[in-house]
Amino acid sequence: MTFRHGRWRRRTTLLALGALDEAEAARTRAHLGACAACARELTESRAALELVRQDPLRGAEPPVPLGALVARVRARLEEAPAGGRVWRPFLAGAGLLAGLVLAAVVSRALLPTAPPAAPSPAASMAAAASEAGPVADSADAIRRLEHTLERERAAHYLSDAQDVLVTVVSAPQRCARRRNAVEVGPEAERSRELLARRRLFVETDAPSTVVARDVLDDVEEMLREVAALDACARPQDLEAIRGEIARRRLLMKIDLVTRELQG
Amino acid sequence: MTEPSDRDLMGRLAAGDREALEPLMERHYQRLYRIALAYLRRPDDALDVVQETFVKAYTHAARWDGAAEVAPWLTRIAVNQAIDIYRRRRRRLGKEEALDDAAPQALAVGDPSPERRVLGQEIGERVDSALRILPERQRAIFVLRHYEELSLQEIAQALDMSLGTVKSSLHRAVARLRERLEGVRS
Repeated sequence: MTFRHGRWRRRTTLLALGALDEAEAARTRAHLGACAACARELTESRAALELVRQDPLRGAEPPVPLGALVARVRARLEEAPAGGRVWRPFLAGAGLLAGLVLAAVVSRALLPTAPPAAPSPAASMAAAASEAGPVADSADAIRRLEHTLERERAAHYLSDAQDVLVTVVSAPQRCARRRNAVEVGPEAERSRELLARRRLFVETDAPSTVVARDVLDDVEEMLREVAALDACARPQDLEAIRGEIARRRLLMKIDLVTRELQG
Repeated sequence: MTEPSDRDLMGRLAAGDREALEPLMERHYQRLYRIALAYLRRPDDALDVVQETFVKAYTHAARWDGAAEVAPWLTRIAVNQAIDIYRRRRRRLGKEEALDDAAPQALAVGDPSPERRVLGQEIGERVDSALRILPERQRAIFVLRHYEELSLQEIAQALDMSLGTVKSSLHRAVARLRERLEGVRS
């Protein structure tokens, strides 16, 4: 299947979805007359979309009246004026826990204390156990929370990166500004954003995300390649990236690792 | 007296006027509910999405760009909320059974005969299973186009994506659905 033909396939899908303007729809129909595979694809797409159109959830009305929903929203605003998310009590509890631990640490550092008398070894151990117990539990809970957030951030990042790479792999548009070039400006820009986001938020060496390290590195490498492309790139440059993504089976690995991260 | 525009209502929300919530919700809540329901397949979750979308609209109103259209902005919040809920549900239940308990329920479309209801439920389950294989954003794009019939430009605006990304995502989504639904149709 040629690159050019890939564009016709995409237009065929958009025709089935009724998403082409008249001129483009007419051009696509003309192509269908000469392309049996595309015509078959159109028939199959239409049949699949017709089935989805019969989805009983399509066009469903909310099961509660507007007034009840307004009341729910107002109640939420009353209970969480700062926009907190009450449906995540775990996070709220962990935040409270973190605050308590922080307060304990700060108060220990700031409050003047008398020099302690030398305690007996047994008393020291008992005191250490009674003091360290809750703090250790709290620290453990915070560590678990941090791990969860790290994994969530990494999964989100990989999912966004996959969107960009899939776009690059599938069917980019012809560049209107240069002959024989493909438009990848938005994907290059998005790649740069994602690279910056990874530097800021995604830890590769954290124990919680170590499972994703190889894939994160591969993704970073591919995003760098995409980020370095001209907005109107040469098809062969894109083809090279596409080949590399396929060779590494990167999209499949992203899927697997993202699922793993999401637990 | 003319109706206040969406922008007027957002301006009032930004100024802390909660009375502006109801008219804004009246204009958008059904559309947002349909989007969330098509995405999440569960009425309770869809209602949560609508609720949280308007909570966010109020709490983030001050950050809203006064020149921006309100409907795409609300759509983007709702889609992000739906994706968040989907991820939480998947984490909670485990990926394999994430949507197994999500068969269409409380269908509020007409009052079909028992046969049609059974058939509708079967189709709903097939569609549910097919949509489940789509990546999160791809599914959102497909829902906005095929369920809400937004134009490609409107989808790009709502999800802050390029038109090319929207087109290629739709192409991939339909290709996957075609494969998944092939056996069902034949």
